[in-house]
Amino acid sequence: MTNFVTGSLVSPAIDIRRLGFSFGAKSILSDLSIRIEPGQVHGFLGPNGAGKTTLFRILTGFLSPDVGTVELFGERLSPKLATRIGYMPQLSALYQEISVQQNVEFFASMYGLSDSVARREAVESVLSLVNLWNERSQPILQLSGGMRQRASLAIAMVHNPSLLLLDEPTVGLDPELRATFWDHFREMADSGVTLVLSSHTMDDASHCDRLSFLQEGRLVATGTPSDLMASVGKAGATLEDAFLHFVRSR
Amino acid sequence: MSFVRTLAIAKRIFLQIRHDRRSVALIIGAPIMVMTLVGLSLSEQEDILDQVAPALIATFAFFFSFLLTGVGFLRERAYGTLERLLTTPVGRGDIVAGYMIGFLIFAWLQSMLIMFYTIFVLQIDYEGSLWQVFVLLLVLTVGSVSLGIFVSTFARNEFQVVQFIPLILTPQVFLSGVIVRVEQLPGYLRVASDVLPLTYAVRGMQGIMILGQNLSDIIPELAALVAFALFMMALALLTVRKI
Repeated sequence: MTNFVTGSLVSPAIDIRRLGFSFGAKSILSDLSIRIEPGQVHGFLGPNGAGKTTLFRILTGFLSPDVGTVELFGERLSPKLATRIGYMPQLSALYQEISVQQNVEFFASMYGLSDSVARREAVESVLSLVNLWNERSQPILQLSGGMRQRASLAIAMVHNPSLLLLDEPTVGLDPELRATFWDHFREMADSGVTLVLSSHTMDDASHCDRLSFLQEGRLVATGTPSDLMASVGKAGATLEDAFLHFVRSR
Repeated sequence: MSFVRTLAIAKRIFLQIRHDRRSVALIIGAPIMVMTLVGLSLSEQEDILDQVAPALIATFAFFFSFLLTGVGFLRERAYGTLERLLTTPVGRGDIVAGYMIGFLIFAWLQSMLIMFYTIFVLQIDYEGSLWQVFVLLLVLTVGSVSLGIFVSTFARNEFQVVQFIPLILTPQVFLSGVIVRVEQLPGYLRVASDVLPLTYAVRGMQGIMILGQNLSDIIPELAALVAFALFMMALALLTVRKI
């Protein structure tokens, strides 16, 4: 595996060591080690079935690894870290019958925002951020796909997490909305939030500070987009070329 | 456990069902239609209706609350909302208690509807006091709501969860004294009857509504229903994380 070490000395937002996970006899992730520094936008790229969603489910604490260790902000993964993590799953995972505001308020309560005034302020702030405040009373059922994605993102952000895990956050979005999402992500990263996202589009990859290529549950390369493209050894190489280069040279 | 989170989950379930007007109409309409059919089919034999009504009230209360919860909780698993919920700091106890309260509101509403409709519209003769029937049905409904949560673990879609209905309900209808008296069953089936919750619910309902007994007279039946409810709650707690 190629690893372009960042050389940072601060406690990493994510420190995964020799992670392995299987469903029965089928290995999903194996021998995966990576450090992700705070305030970075880190993308996991790979085809469907590469293990991206399983990795995210482990990082949220929903699944436990079979082998290896996972530390977030220097602490072993435990339920008390859940308040520091925001998770946007691949499915929008929203309650269809109730309104956008009720969905976000509900998850704010789950994240421990028990004071009703503080909770309402947080909900208003996050819905304004994703430009859904005017649609707050609409049931999810009546929203377009893009609006649902924004509502899902609002839920992930409502408790001001230090780490945002976004599983294919831009899938199904039109180019304009995707650009808006990336503006949000960049603002959050600039404010110190660590963003980890999965994708299989090279457009998303180009926005990341660092990338990791996953294939069949293994990390085949990690580094900055420019480093990864440069390692192809060909002028004008794209991220797609870099991905194919590392996958084929395994 | 967090009381605030438990109540937030219950409130959200209440809002979800309340906003789904067709489901609300079915929650109210389906038991009334079924009991109307029962009443019409036995309209010439009022004595028989008086005898079977307590057992039917218990059976339909059990059936509808199981169905409501089983399908409701399955949707949580299938649509990814349960997984999302499990990534928050909420505890398993909060989830089961929240779902229990949320679904129980509607499940118990259905039970009460069945009971009041049978008594006041079908005009059956009954003994005993109604508040004691409320208590018995509440305990039965807690058990069937937990059973619904537990069973939803083994289904991947609504079609599959519906297949559990005959599997769970039919043995109870035939072996719990709803159609055939338990004493008239072959010995080996009586053993099976002894482990079915509906047996105790039917016996308790018949005790109150036909024999005019009090809750203190049906303590063994109540205890069996409480034990069933606690057992199912424990199983629901153990399996709630399974997606």
